[in-house]
Amino acid sequence: MSLHRRTLLTGAVSAATAGLLSGCGGADVDDLLARAATVPDEPAELKWWVSEIPSRRGAVVADEIMRAFERRHPRISVSKINALSSSDGNRSALATQLAGGSPEPDVYLGDTTWPAQFGHSSLALPVETLLADGFWDAYPEALRSSSTYRGKVYAVPFFTDSAYLFYRKDLLAKHGLRVPRSWEELLHTSRKVQRAGDTESGFLWQAAVTESLTANLTEFLADADADVLDGRGRAVLGGAAAERAFALMAEFTDSGVTPRTVATYEESDAQDAFVTGRGLFLRNWSYAWVNASTPELSRVAGKVGAVPRPGFEGGGRSGISCAGGWSNFVNPGSRHLGAAMEFARFCAGEEVQRLLAREAGVVPAMTAVLDGPEARAAGDPTVLRAADLRLVARPVQTPYYPQVSKALYTPANEVVRGTLSPAAGVRAAREGLRTALEGKAL
Amino acid sequence: MSSVSHVKAPATAPEDGGGSAAPTPGRPPVSLNRRRVRAGWLFASPALLVVAAVTVFPVVFSLVLSFWEVRLEYGGLRLGSPTLGHYEALLTHSEWYRALAFTLGFTVVSVTVELVLGTLTALVLERLGAARGWILALLLLPWALINVIAAQLWSYLFNGTYGAVSWLCEQLLGTQPDILGQPVPAMAAMVVVDVWKTTPFVAIVVLAGLMLLPGDVYEAAEIDGANAWTTFWQVTLPQLRPIVAIAVLFRILQAFGIFDLPFVLTQGGPGTATQSVAILGYRVLFQNLDFGGGAAVAVTTAVMVLACCLLFLRVFRAHVDEEGRA
Repeated sequence: MSLHRRTLLTGAVSAATAGLLSGCGGADVDDLLARAATVPDEPAELKWWVSEIPSRRGAVVADEIMRAFERRHPRISVSKINALSSSDGNRSALATQLAGGSPEPDVYLGDTTWPAQFGHSSLALPVETLLADGFWDAYPEALRSSSTYRGKVYAVPFFTDSAYLFYRKDLLAKHGLRVPRSWEELLHTSRKVQRAGDTESGFLWQAAVTESLTANLTEFLADADADVLDGRGRAVLGGAAAERAFALMAEFTDSGVTPRTVATYEESDAQDAFVTGRGLFLRNWSYAWVNASTPELSRVAGKVGAVPRPGFEGGGRSGISCAGGWSNFVNPGSRHLGAAMEFARFCAGEEVQRLLAREAGVVPAMTAVLDGPEARAAGDPTVLRAADLRLVARPVQTPYYPQVSKALYTPANEVVRGTLSPAAGVRAAREGLRTALEGKAL
Repeated sequence: MSSVSHVKAPATAPEDGGGSAAPTPGRPPVSLNRRRVRAGWLFASPALLVVAAVTVFPVVFSLVLSFWEVRLEYGGLRLGSPTLGHYEALLTHSEWYRALAFTLGFTVVSVTVELVLGTLTALVLERLGAARGWILALLLLPWALINVIAAQLWSYLFNGTYGAVSWLCEQLLGTQPDILGQPVPAMAAMVVVDVWKTTPFVAIVVLAGLMLLPGDVYEAAEIDGANAWTTFWQVTLPQLRPIVAIAVLFRILQAFGIFDLPFVLTQGGPGTATQSVAILGYRVLFQNLDFGGGAAVAVTTAVMVLACCLLFLRVFRAHVDEEGRA
């Protein structure tokens, strides 16, 4: 029997190795780009991996985009694959599928933090040669920067998420208070309204050990004018500015303006607390406007305002927002590369961008659309004020971004919980960043 | 008395090859044996192929990935050169040891509590009459719930803003507890959920064992004047050992692979306090897209859990031997 066991084991090892090797098509990227450069004449059926796009008036936004594309390209049909709602869930599902060489989906919606990692791992087609000259003039610089890795572009703009400070208009009016212009004023205002018993929490934000906290931390660091990486991509986090940002996060919870439970909050948790009337201020992405203003979803509908985030008193910058959002990526294994690329370009084009401004509860990526007639008609302050924001990119231009993000959010979470001092938090984050950037972090 | 047998069963099938060519009186000739063996393999081969496809191949695939440089290129995975680098990186990283410590601690505490509570529940159930069926059905509800749904339900209960458990603690203690935001309460919460969900499984397995115990042993104990306590320790528990061993083995295997609870309740936080090895493997493989590193986490975990189970079985078996119940 031992001979049989050995035979079986050897067979299994051989089969596994052969399976691995057979997965290596070794496709030439120039061939892929040549195929992607022309829109085919023959019929094609595209699959688009897309999660639900928030809607202002009940329209299924993705369906409207697909039908609009089919009207322009009658020989190409598009159907959607319903994606998951979380960025991490989508990454896992897509990475598994694409690494196996699957030709579907042809185009997929991905987070703006993915391009470097997906480009490095050959899970996305480099598309810079497939975009017209001057293409990026129509989009924010932060988006171009986050879509690029080592000079190659791996994502085509679709919509952006920007961070705003949402506030309770009614409570500020009741107490004769203005919308805070600095974090110090926000702390003072919150304490005053909390002491009066009109709100349980002052400021709600996100500090769970997830990407949400990295986005928040990136903004606080930018508020304080602190750098995370230098121009050559080396970790330079440190100094008084960085400690000021970490100290502010600690002060929110130490003072009781933010509940300690914020250390477990992601976007939906903070938003739930705000729309059920438990907070005076909320930092969240732009899509929270639609949810907070819809009476069926919010107890505070009609009582909410949104402004760009404040900054620090006496220097620093205000109106900072992390550059978030979703872009279209082209699957290099697609059998319809030309059609897939055309669809990605179409989604970035003016027709779809205006459709987004009109129907979707997101901020279109195209800058010119932000003050167009559709945006003005919708009256969404997060769209109308998007041009006023100072977008900052997370340190995403590394294939090790998940480890980089973890190096930031893990000590930041401990600072928020009060188990690490701000200075120690900055030191831990810097050390973690160095390890992560060397590719040695888990 | 013991259900663990140490008497080797007689061979039921002839050995293939290596035997004498001369036919043994009363036995079929060797050539016939070989034909039978070949036919046996032939008939079993479809099932073996299915088992190989769904079980052996993924295991071997993980092993191969863990010992090779793996790159993602246009067209799929590409193997570079053989390496021990994935294991070296893992075994020199403090985060892996922290994840291992949490997983071991969680396994030991939750399995111990579930074993005690499950055995007590089974003893109570054994004495119940008509109501036993209803209570069993009720007990099975948590076990029947899909893990991730159960975890989500508990995350609502533990939620610091509107959770019922948080509210109850606030009423009793006067301050709002941060259950999932601090390491010790978060770990305790995880054990509570696991005990709530899995104790019924242990109870049912132990109850099955209890119902199979022969009544004459209890009569003998009663005649000898043993009280209930002595009977439980000297009669019931020793006889239950084989069935308890099975329950413990299942639970160790499940608890060591804990993923759903920390993934839903804490995402491995606060910090990395509740990051299990399964969560770590998920992050390395699916977030970092490090296929070799992720495979190394999976392989090391599998090796450790198998070693734990084998060690447990060996210790358990030796214990039975010492008591002369072979």
